[in-house]
Amino acid sequence: MASASAASPPPRTERSSYFEDVEVGVPLETPAMTVTAAHVSLFSGLTGGAPAADPDVVPDLLALCLSSGLGWRVPRPPLVVLAFMAFDWKFHLPLRIGDTIRSRSHTAAKRSMKDGGVVFEERAIVNHRDEIVQSGRLTLLVAKRKPA
Amino acid sequence: MSAQAPLSFEDIKVGEEFVSPGRTVTEMDVVLFAGLSGDYNVLHTDAEHMKSSQFGERIAHGLLVLSLQQGLVSRIAPELVELPMAELGWKFRGPVKIGDTVHVVARVSDKRPADRPGWGLVTVERRVINQRGEVVQEGESEHMVERRLG
Repeated sequence: MASASAASPPPRTERSSYFEDVEVGVPLETPAMTVTAAHVSLFSGLTGGAPAADPDVVPDLLALCLSSGLGWRVPRPPLVVLAFMAFDWKFHLPLRIGDTIRSRSHTAAKRSMKDGGVVFEERAIVNHRDEIVQSGRLTLLVAKRKPA
Repeated sequence: MSAQAPLSFEDIKVGEEFVSPGRTVTEMDVVLFAGLSGDYNVLHTDAEHMKSSQFGERIAHGLLVLSLQQGLVSRIAPELVELPMAELGWKFRGPVKIGDTVHVVARVSDKRPADRPGWGLVTVERRVINQRGEVVQEGESEHMVERRLG
């Protein structure tokens, strides 16, 4: 039996995932989040977007922005993203205040480069009825693990 | 501003171009956006770490600048950005740093009938340009627009 150690545990630091750790095809799902009127007010005030004709409708781009934050909350150490390069996105259904979204993703492909690597991520934002509201492909530049 | 009737497919003029006012991207924009989106990547939030990066300082979230772009276009062509977006293709060409000033050039590049009867598709090209005239982001949005009856 191990006895209680007097040594203090190693310091906890944020662990990271690198290009080498990215596995193609492995599905990831984020926690869910309810989109509130506060999100919409903050977003509209910050960006200066015109108010929607229907005040219950969530701005199209806000859902995409929220999915970027949700994307960090997956069971994998945070990916060292050096740059967001591009995306191609489709808007399938409107999102309304009070809807609860989560995002599902997987890496469709990865390509090694000299300084880092490119990761192509397929992502879908789904609502609480499991309908896909937005989906598409994102291109990210990800750091490689530094040689030891 | 949004009191006018929604644009119909027939009202949209291909080739029409809109140039927005400028918008200086501030530290507060970046901090607020990190809090709102939950994207706390060190690129946007750790000034000390970023001193040793290729950028030399924190950069704005790409999606923040994209969202500011939408706000800028809504100030010059509100009827255009109110059209629901069906698709968006976007490229992030270069960093936007705190203190940079961006403006948007948007141009209606195409319109054609959609497969769905009574509807049309309109393409809008958008470029986000910084104070040095560099295109930092660009892309195309596709909008579904109702055709006028009769």
